Amino acid sequence: MSRQQVRLALFVMVLLAVASAGCRRPWRRGAAADPDFLQTTALGEQDIPLGERMADGIPVADFTAANVQFAYDSFQVAPTEAPKVESVADYMRRNGDVRLVIEGHCDERGSREYNMALGEHRALAVRAYLVGLGIDAQRVQTRSLGEESPIDPGHDERAWWFNRRAEFKLFR
Amino acid sequence: MARRNLFHAVVSLVLAGAASAADVQVVKAGAGKASLDMAGFTARGPYSELVRTVLENDLKRSGWFELSGSGGAVVIQGSATDQDGRIAVTCQAAARANAQVFMRRAYGEPSSSARRLAHAIADDVVRAVKGVPGIASTRIAMVGMRNGSKEIYICDYDGEGLTQLTHDRSICLTPSWSPDGSWLAYTAFLRSYPDVYGIDLASGQRRRIAGFPGLNAGPDISRDGRTIALTLSKDGNPELYTLDSRSGRPTRLTNTRTAVEASPTWSPDGRQIAFVSDKSGRPQVYVMDRSGGEAIRITFRGSENAAPDWGPDGRIVFSSRREGNYQLCVYDPSARTETQVTSGPHDYEDPSWAPNGRHVVCSRTSGYHSEVYVLDTAGDAPIRLHAVPGEWYSPAWSPSRATE
Repeated sequence: MSRQQVRLALFVMVLLAVASAGCRRPWRRGAAADPDFLQTTALGEQDIPLGERMADGIPVADFTAANVQFAYDSFQVAPTEAPKVESVADYMRRNGDVRLVIEGHCDERGSREYNMALGEHRALAVRAYLVGLGIDAQRVQTRSLGEESPIDPGHDERAWWFNRRAEFKLFR
Repeated sequence: MARRNLFHAVVSLVLAGAASAADVQVVKAGAGKASLDMAGFTARGPYSELVRTVLENDLKRSGWFELSGSGGAVVIQGSATDQDGRIAVTCQAAARANAQVFMRRAYGEPSSSARRLAHAIADDVVRAVKGVPGIASTRIAMVGMRNGSKEIYICDYDGEGLTQLTHDRSICLTPSWSPDGSWLAYTAFLRSYPDVYGIDLASGQRRRIAGFPGLNAGPDISRDGRTIALTLSKDGNPELYTLDSRSGRPTRLTNTRTAVEASPTWSPDGRQIAFVSDKSGRPQVYVMDRSGGEAIRITFRGSENAAPDWGPDGRIVFSSRREGNYQLCVYDPSARTETQVTSGPHDYEDPSWAPNGRHVVCSRTSGYHSEVYVLDTAGDAPIRLHAVPGEWYSPAWSPSRATE
């Protein structure tokens, strides 16, 4: 299989996984189809100030979190992505010593400066969602890399889809 | 310091009364160029030849002149001579029609400063003949990606003398000049988070200006040097703030829970800030009082508008997504008009005004390869700044160096 094919297969697998997860676990009693509801819920009632920065510790080895993907120019955690955040919340609940840095990333299109802010907005939206699930805000920091650190070097829709993401960096 | 040498310490005497700028009719941007006759300017020796070549190039690049063999309306006469490691120059600019002398001046510099000397002469000619500031002595900072790391580089306005300023082996972003041209503010990941730093050009010394939790990015220094506008997310959302450069204390300007603000740029009088917000759903350019309050949207064409830079004559240049490509547009707040200044199948982004309010430096991306170009909003063709291999973007044009 060529690299392109591997990437395509991965893409389809992720889509299927997300879709089936969505079927198994509808978002909060019938609200799955309402992105506005999700957005307001995820953001909570008010901004949650960031606590002091934490030094990165030892990366967590017994859990791998899937990246949260985003629509173009959007910071909304889509219903299909919510289970990924919930699995991180579950892990953090079970492991009280674990801290988290959420990295927000953008695709290469648009202004670099704007993308730095958009990447931060994505990370903060995921953080707000975690806090809504009961995770202590002081355990979660955000870091935007804008469009500066793509995981897929391509210049097509699929590469852009992979690059619009929030990554979970869990530390002990 | 070098500039001071040029104007004070070294021979720099005015031989004859130069015509005052007020006598000279200033040609409006877009109007025709004056024909220039340089046949009467002689050069003896290799360094003097270089002075002549650079001077000619500078006068062409100024946008105000076109070279004509002889019979030009503006006549440059004089000589450049290599003498014992130095260059001695006399230069006169006069009108052919009535023999009016715009300027006549003598210069002397070490041979190693041939380019700087030529730039100084060119700026004097432009000021004397056209009554406007020249740009030949200015510089351009930019981000360059070579060997994986993204560092800040600086070169002369004509692409010569490219030097690497930072050696952070990290990601540097969006340099912004201090009003006196002595230091730059920029964003970098030196401690793994995006913080705002200031770096002194002479010493290379660096200090952290903003290192709050979350995002610290996109600094723009006010023209009095006292306040830095930037984006911070410490309070839970990316918003605009101003930072007192002495106390380091931030003041919050915006409050948009479901939107981000970025790319602040100060108005020439320091009373307003233009910036990008996506509160309408897509990034658009807004203008706001420096202390906050209501933001007025100024861009309505194009699906996205971003990266504004507020120029010295009050016009705002920004990049606008038009039919699939990013093009540069200029907004004139006094007339409330918008003019598209680039076109074609390239992406023009991250514009920055020259201190003459006429030229703009920007990145041009073609086939996913990014280079820096100098544009003339009055119509001359874009010029590539330099051809050094690498990815080059986020250019920032320096202010004029302190005048005499």
